[in-house]
This record gives sequence, structure tokens and C-alpha cells, in this order.
Amino acid sequence: MSIARDIGAETFELARSARELYSVFVRTLYYVARGRRERGAVVRQMYEIGNKSFVFLTITMGFIGMIMVYQSGLQTKRVLPEFSLLGATFLELLTRDLAASLAALMLATRVGAGIAAEIGSMVVTEQIDALRMSAADPIDYLIKPRFIASIIMTTTLIIWGGFVMFSVGGAVGYFAFDIQWRTWASIQLVSAGDLITGLTKCVAYGAAIPVVSGYCGLSTFGGSEGVGWATTRAVVSSSLAIIILNFFISGAAYVLFPK
Amino acid sequence: MIPAVERTLTLRTQLEDFAAQVGGGVMNVAQVVGGMGVLFGRIVSRMFPPRLDYPELRRNMYKMSVKSLPIVIITALFTGAIMVIQAAPIVKRLGAEGLVGWAASFTTLREIAPLLTALMISGRVGANNTAELGTMVVTEQLDALRVLAIDPISFLILPRFIGIVLTLFMMTLYADALAIFGATYCAKALLHVEPASFVHGMTSGLLGFGDVANGLIKSVVFGIVMALASCHFGLKTTGGAPGVGRAVNATVVASAAGIFVLDYFISFILG
Repeated sequence: MSIARDIGAETFELARSARELYSVFVRTLYYVARGRRERGAVVRQMYEIGNKSFVFLTITMGFIGMIMVYQSGLQTKRVLPEFSLLGATFLELLTRDLAASLAALMLATRVGAGIAAEIGSMVVTEQIDALRMSAADPIDYLIKPRFIASIIMTTTLIIWGGFVMFSVGGAVGYFAFDIQWRTWASIQLVSAGDLITGLTKCVAYGAAIPVVSGYCGLSTFGGSEGVGWATTRAVVSSSLAIIILNFFISGAAYVLFPK
Repeated sequence: MIPAVERTLTLRTQLEDFAAQVGGGVMNVAQVVGGMGVLFGRIVSRMFPPRLDYPELRRNMYKMSVKSLPIVIITALFTGAIMVIQAAPIVKRLGAEGLVGWAASFTTLREIAPLLTALMISGRVGANNTAELGTMVVTEQLDALRVLAIDPISFLILPRFIGIVLTLFMMTLYADALAIFGATYCAKALLHVEPASFVHGMTSGLLGFGDVANGLIKSVVFGIVMALASCHFGLKTTGGAPGVGRAVNATVVASAAGIFVLDYFISFILG
């Protein structure tokens, strides 16, 4: 009986969180269209989300690019000792999936944790209640600028991250497997469908990170331990959101753009 | 128009600012790495002979491992499926449906399962651990322990360190199995590759125990880095509730960067 009760309780809890998350998302969209505009808020958040993640993202994406090319080079070597399509295939995979998903996972940890920690501290120190008392909806005032900034900067950073991965990969290909840059940098396998899939993912992830972690931040309770909990939940939930969104977008793209 | 002398002056101060920023960043990184090294030394010194609080270890293992199972299961199943969706067009182009089992599980076992499990566990366990330690530091509970002549490293840090490393190792094993399970059934749905031939492609000699061991060695190294980062930032927390948030943020960023950078070197060394 207790197992059934636990599962039931978990399900109700999950359904409640999903409904609240949905409500945050809808209200964010509403305020993007109708809310008041505060000068400079979006730009400030763009700096927080974008510029401050730049070095972190460049380093991690560079290293993962090197690993991927090195591993797939070894893999190719075992089956067909021929590297002429390695660069083109890598670029295809980057455009369709890898650049967007890996960069978004990185951003989910940095940006998501940052947003949840900031909003969570505001909740704990009752600044959010102060906002509500001044008739300013925290979603309009806090989440909307982060939402707009995150969509723009996530897309930009993903494109930059993909570029870093591809060029670092080219260097590894040149030094480890003797692939010339001309052979490496070929776009013959990238189709319009791949590009659309990749850009859809950029926008979807960029929208998901601030909404999910903003929701986690707003539902903080109980002192400094609560802020820690909220931050943890923000990182986990936004990473999960990215993986699940990736599954559905990739599946849809597989059906919509057959090769 | 700004006079030439002033222009060179502003340029110089700008350059100086830039140099100061770069230097400050380097010093910061060095400080964190050094702090983590010192902490590691202290932890190791408590291991021989083991001076460890076993009930605390058991409590932490339950909280870290058992409670993380749901997210590990979801992540692994979806990841396995995504690997097949991404490999599908390439496999179809080469007409090598029999190889899809090998292609998907090679990357999963060696890279994706250890990496994604580490990222998820770092978000759940590492961040949570920092928050807990940070709260203890902010509310002066660590000082209270010291007053009672209880060594915080062997009472708090060592059990958490061992807990995180073991958790990540076990979760990677789970994730390997579940990701391959997800990949098998996704391959059946998308490419009409029967599970039997998927498993055959995996076990017919192209994959060995070395590939599994590669991923598991990685998971242990990731676990050590993650545990050190999360304990280090937790112990260094200052400044109330916002401080705890900042510490958690720093942990997550440092773990992710450390995991990716080390992943490259381990891949290169193990080959």
C-alpha cells in the first residue's frame, strides 16, 4: 500500500509542478507581449547571461570538441580507415544536435543556477513580496527580461560554441589524423532541415532555461538552505528539460526531414 | 577631439585594466585549484587509517544514490534513444543497420553515459552537498563541531567525499545499462533493427571490456573532482543566504569545467 501511496503522492506533486511551470511560462509569454518595458533590463541580463558565460562556454566546448573528434577518429579507424567524410559528418551532427544540446547543458548549469540563486535569495529576503506589494508582478519584472535575454544569448552562444567545436576539431583532425582543413571544412552533408532543427533547439533551450530555473527560484522557501535546494533543483530540472526537449525535437525532425 | 597624450593614457589604463582582469582570473583559478588540492591532501590523510563516521556515510549514501535514481533512469533512457536518433541517418546512408548497436553503444559507454551522469549528479548531489555544507558554515555549525573537538573533515567531509565518488561510479553502471536498453528499443522503433541483432552488433567483437572500463575509470575521476569542488566551495561559503546561492553556482560551474577538461586528458591517456 505504501508504495502505491508514494507513487500517487509523487504523481500529484509532479502534476502540480508541471501546472505551475506551465503557468509561469504562459505568464512570461503574456508579459513579453503586453508588459511594461524597463529600459536596460534586457541588456543587463544579456550581459549577465551571455558575456559572463563566454569564457566558460568556450573552454568547455573546446575540450568537448577535441574529445569528440579524437574518439570518432579512433572509431572510424577501426571500421573504415578513411577520414574524408569525418569533417562533414561532424559538422552535420554539430548543426543538428551536438552544438545546441551540449552548449545548452553547460548554460543550464551556469545560467540556471545563477537565476535560481538570485531569485531564491530575493524570495528568502522578502524582496519578492515587496515587489508584489508595489503592484509589480515578479514574472514581469524579473523573469521576462531573463527570458528575452536568454533566448537571444543562448542562440548566439550556441552558434559560437559550435564554431569553437568545429575549428578545434579541425585542429585535432589535422594533428592526430592528418586531415587537411580543406577536406575538414565541408558543408556537403548539412541540409536546410539540419539547420532548422538546430535553430529550433537553440530557441527551445533558450526559452526553457530561464522559465524552469525562474520557477524553481520563485518557489524557494526556508532560509539559506532553501536557496541551496532551489539552485540544485533548477540545475537538475533545466538539464532534464533540455534532454527531454532534445528527444522530442530530434524525433520530430527525424520524421519531418527524412534523409 | 581628445589630446594625443590623454588618448595614450586612456589606452594604457585600459590595457592595464585588461591585464589586471586576466591576472585576477588566473589567480582565482589557481586559488580554487590549490584549495581543492589542500582539501584532497587532508581527506587522504584521514583515510589511512580510516577515521570515518560510518552512520554519516550510510545517511549520505542513501541521500545521494537512492534518491538520484529517478533522474539517472530518465536521463539514461532518453540519452540512449537520442544517440540512436542521431546515428540513424548516418547508419542508413552507409546501409550498415547491423552496426548501429556498436556505433550507439561505443559512444554511450565511453563518453556520453559517464559525462551526462556526471553532469546530472553534479547538479543534484554536488550542488546539494555544497548547499548543505554552506548552510552549516554560515550558521557556524562547523565551529561548534570544532569546539566539541570533533574533526569536521573526518565527520563531515570524508563521508561525503566517499559517498559522491561511489554514487557516481554506481550511477554510471546503471546509466550504461539503461542507455543501451533505451537505444535498443529506439533502434527497433526507428530503424526496424531487431534487439537481437542490435545486441549482436554490440558483442560481436568490436566492443570489449576495455570500453566499459574506460567509462568507469572516467566516472571515478569525475567523482573525485566533483566531490572536491563541492566540499571546497561549501566550506568557503561566506555571507548568509545569497552566499550559499553563490557557492552552489560556483560549484556547478567548477565541476562542469573540471569534468570536461579532465575528460579530454583521460580520453587521450587511455586512448
